[in-house]
Amino acid sequence: MKKFFGNPWAIALFTLPTLLLFSVMVFYPIIQVFYRSLFDWNGLSAGTFVGMDNYVRLLDDKGFQVGNLNGFKFGAVITVFQLTMATLLALSLSSMRMKGKSILRVAYFIPVVLSVTVVCQLWLSIYNADTGLLNRAFAFMGIPFKQNWLADRHVAIYAIAFVNAWQWTGYQFALILAGVKSIPDSYFEAAKIDGASSWKAHRFITIPLLSETYKFCLVVSITGGIKAFTEMFIMTGGGPGNSTYTLTYTMYSAAFRSAQFGYGLAAAAVLVLECLLAIILVNKVFKTDPAVEGA
Amino acid sequence: MKNKLLKWLFGGFLWFYAAISLYPLVWMVLYSFKNNDEIFVGNPFGLPKVWRIDNYIKAWTNYDVPQYFLNSLVVAIATVCLTLALSITFAYATSRMRWRGKGLVRLYVALGMFVPVQAVLIPVARLVNGFGLTDSHLALIFPYTAFNLSFATMVFYAFFVGLPVELEEAACIDGANIFQTFFKVMIPTVQPAIWTLAIFTFLNSWNEFLLANVLVVKPALKTLPLGVLFFQGQFTTDWGAMGATMVIASLPTVLLYIFFSNQVEKALTVSGAVKG
Amino acid sequence: MKKITALFLALCLISGLALGCQKAPEPVAATEAQTEATTEAAPEPVTLRIYAQYADDDTKIPYDYAVAELAKAYPHVTLELDVQAQDDGQKLQTYAATGNLPDIFQVGAAQIETFKESGNIMMLDDAAKSTGYLDLAHPNAQSIIYNEDGHIYAFPYAGNELVMWYYNKALFEQYGVKVPETIDELKTAIKTFKENDIIPMSIFAKEKWITTALYDSILTRYLPEGIVALDKAKANATDEPFKQAANTLKELVSLGMLPEGATNLNYDQAAALFYEGKAAMFINGQWEIEGSTAKLGDKVDWMYYPVAPGFEGNAKALSGGGAAGGYAVSPHSEHKELAAEVAAFISQKYCEAKYMKRSNPILALDITDLVTPEKELPAMMQKLSDEMGNITSTTKFAWGLTQPEFKVAMEDQSQFLLTPDYTTDEFIAELDKVVQRLK
Repeated sequence: MKKFFGNPWAIALFTLPTLLLFSVMVFYPIIQVFYRSLFDWNGLSAGTFVGMDNYVRLLDDKGFQVGNLNGFKFGAVITVFQLTMATLLALSLSSMRMKGKSILRVAYFIPVVLSVTVVCQLWLSIYNADTGLLNRAFAFMGIPFKQNWLADRHVAIYAIAFVNAWQWTGYQFALILAGVKSIPDSYFEAAKIDGASSWKAHRFITIPLLSETYKFCLVVSITGGIKAFTEMFIMTGGGPGNSTYTLTYTMYSAAFRSAQFGYGLAAAAVLVLECLLAIILVNKVFKTDPAVEGA
Repeated sequence: MKNKLLKWLFGGFLWFYAAISLYPLVWMVLYSFKNNDEIFVGNPFGLPKVWRIDNYIKAWTNYDVPQYFLNSLVVAIATVCLTLALSITFAYATSRMRWRGKGLVRLYVALGMFVPVQAVLIPVARLVNGFGLTDSHLALIFPYTAFNLSFATMVFYAFFVGLPVELEEAACIDGANIFQTFFKVMIPTVQPAIWTLAIFTFLNSWNEFLLANVLVVKPALKTLPLGVLFFQGQFTTDWGAMGATMVIASLPTVLLYIFFSNQVEKALTVSGAVKG
Repeated sequence: MKKITALFLALCLISGLALGCQKAPEPVAATEAQTEATTEAAPEPVTLRIYAQYADDDTKIPYDYAVAELAKAYPHVTLELDVQAQDDGQKLQTYAATGNLPDIFQVGAAQIETFKESGNIMMLDDAAKSTGYLDLAHPNAQSIIYNEDGHIYAFPYAGNELVMWYYNKALFEQYGVKVPETIDELKTAIKTFKENDIIPMSIFAKEKWITTALYDSILTRYLPEGIVALDKAKANATDEPFKQAANTLKELVSLGMLPEGATNLNYDQAAALFYEGKAAMFINGQWEIEGSTAKLGDKVDWMYYPVAPGFEGNAKALSGGGAAGGYAVSPHSEHKELAAEVAAFISQKYCEAKYMKRSNPILALDITDLVTPEKELPAMMQKLSDEMGNITSTTKFAWGLTQPEFKVAMEDQSQFLLTPDYTTDEFIAELDKVVQRLK
């Protein structure tokens, strides 16, 4: 067995192509990010080496602080919403006996298929203070809760995070559903014989067996939150002021709007480190049973 | 009794959620027949007062839709094939096989998920240029594949890690080597993941704008998401025509997805039955 | 399962084939290099890549006109258009970084500085003379055409554009409101309109350049130089005028001058408020004149911004101004001399098209003798044209600022100032931080 699983030719053949492409196209640019973050550089000129100056400046930059905090808010909203909804939907579809399941399955994934621009435009209309569906719904129910969803600097980030959470729930739904499908049916049959209800079966069989998938979903949500950009770019332009900046937005704004590439890359470098930290933490907190890992 | 009511309510919720997931599709199509005034002021949600076909005429005449479409298709399909081939082998080696340092290698490739594309636009563009890829679809295929790798390897890893060791043990005892086991036993087992990822990767590549915007230099190589550039001005945007552009870009993928997902579902149920 | 797999494989194959086709070498490019020198004798066909805005009437009409004219004057030159993205210059910058710059490209004031430093923009002094571009140059446009270092890097076509406060005469008459000439009268007007459920002033404050323009138009009441004083580091953000302007704006906003949720209104939403008679005033550049005349006819006019007590001398100091942007040429172009010629030609044709077809006489070049407008100038434009001599000073639009870092801070902070719980102290402190660093 040891020889079987330790076949060096197989390992090389299986990993090297990926490592090669990845190192050239992704890792080398990441190195550039870190290297260039030590320069005062406008993106084109030679630039001057300034050491850690850009990082020191970040500490005093309100845009960066706001962006950092927003990343966590964004990450929290989408993690909670997506994991809960995706689990609920995927488990219901795989266990409930009802008509039209395949329609539901297709429907839940549709927001993912659409481009972010379309989804953001839709939600811009929904959030509109005057004509938007949301405020109208509150008015209709007689609740005096009219909000300037995207113009209020304390609310806007949550409103935007919700759009992202909603759109990409389908992604995690599909992943979890595929995970459930690949669990051999015999596992469930055994549980049924023992008289466990389907929810109980899921609680004790499906979710533990999918722990790796969940870990992965968690990482995707958290890093997706820290990295968020497109939604704010379309929906608020980072505004009002810089209240919906994220780290990526800070980076973008510094690099392309104010020609301080080096400074922007310092923000990007912090972002990469934060994400790395997040994945390591997730791996530590949800340590997979070594018996399952099989290494 | 109480249980039944609960089930009923829950079913209702499932259908309600489906409805709000499908709504943007309807909304997008209606939107593509409106003008700016209707979209933003008069009538953001209702049926268009006048069905403005000319939005589609504008979208169709401002850029070469069939050419853009073909480019998108070529890039997306090639990206899917390459991504799947690379990531499934890599994930297998890092999840099931036994060697030192595989955890570190896995983390290394995961790094790709953490970096915002905006930060690496220029180095990536320099690479694409340096390798002389600018004149072909490879200008997009290689970067797209590379940036999809992190996600794809992590998904496959999650799937492989959960499988029982007995799968390989049985094959090994039957005298199969690792390659045979990988292709004949492991790949069929993670088919749900393969199809899911094929769809994800296809969509990522199909809707990608940022890299396409800066990496494609030749007009003959432009992809569909770039069509919106013709309607987005510095001060004003023709949202109706942009809606039409987005419908042209999205509808085929929606249809393809519906078709594929039903096929995949059928296939999965059959293979599931065999497995059971 | 097999069927899908087969289908999938087939698709892969097709895409592989298509790839192969696309990669076929194109032998055309190789021969072009030698022909450049002999353009005069036997003009070989030349294709120039051009990066330009091409998205709405204001950009498509002049471009199409220029291309048609180019075909007559330079029949051997074809333009290959690369449409500009609204991406804060990401694409152009990447092109420059990878040596893929188009032969001719539209560039903004801030980007000229970056490109200048890195040798990605050609000096056009000679071409400006030889093509006759300078002979046509409008006397007022000198500061736009010449960079601070005394050279020419781009051929501008737009002239001194201005920030205008438009107002709906009918609404002012209906509610018996005097067109405000002082800030106090403006406050009265705001109160009267609010009482009657009319929005005093509409603004598409989702865009940050217009919030900058609004702050700047108030600032010119106290300091005619406006935000340019900070851009050129001639003043401190903590100086009195900047505070006064911020306080005034803050007060006007708290009185309800702007629509609710203004910072998320886009152009179409804000303009609709004004054109549907829901808002009494509207702020935008002078390019809105044509559209607003079409929608409101003689009910619409523009006003000088109301003056602040004690600063009556600044009444005719306006916000806005020309920007040093325009068509530039890549120094790496194979045909850079020709490209420079064509760039100057196109810029002139843009001016002609804007004058003839877009009722816009405020241009970098004086081409009024060469072409005549297709329709009569709107009354507001005539008035502006006549008033030009009386305007005492102008400033800059956000995109005309030369310090990009200051520009971004100004844009973000001016938008912040319109939100309810943002204080002027925060506003001044954040601006000051940037201005101090730039000094």
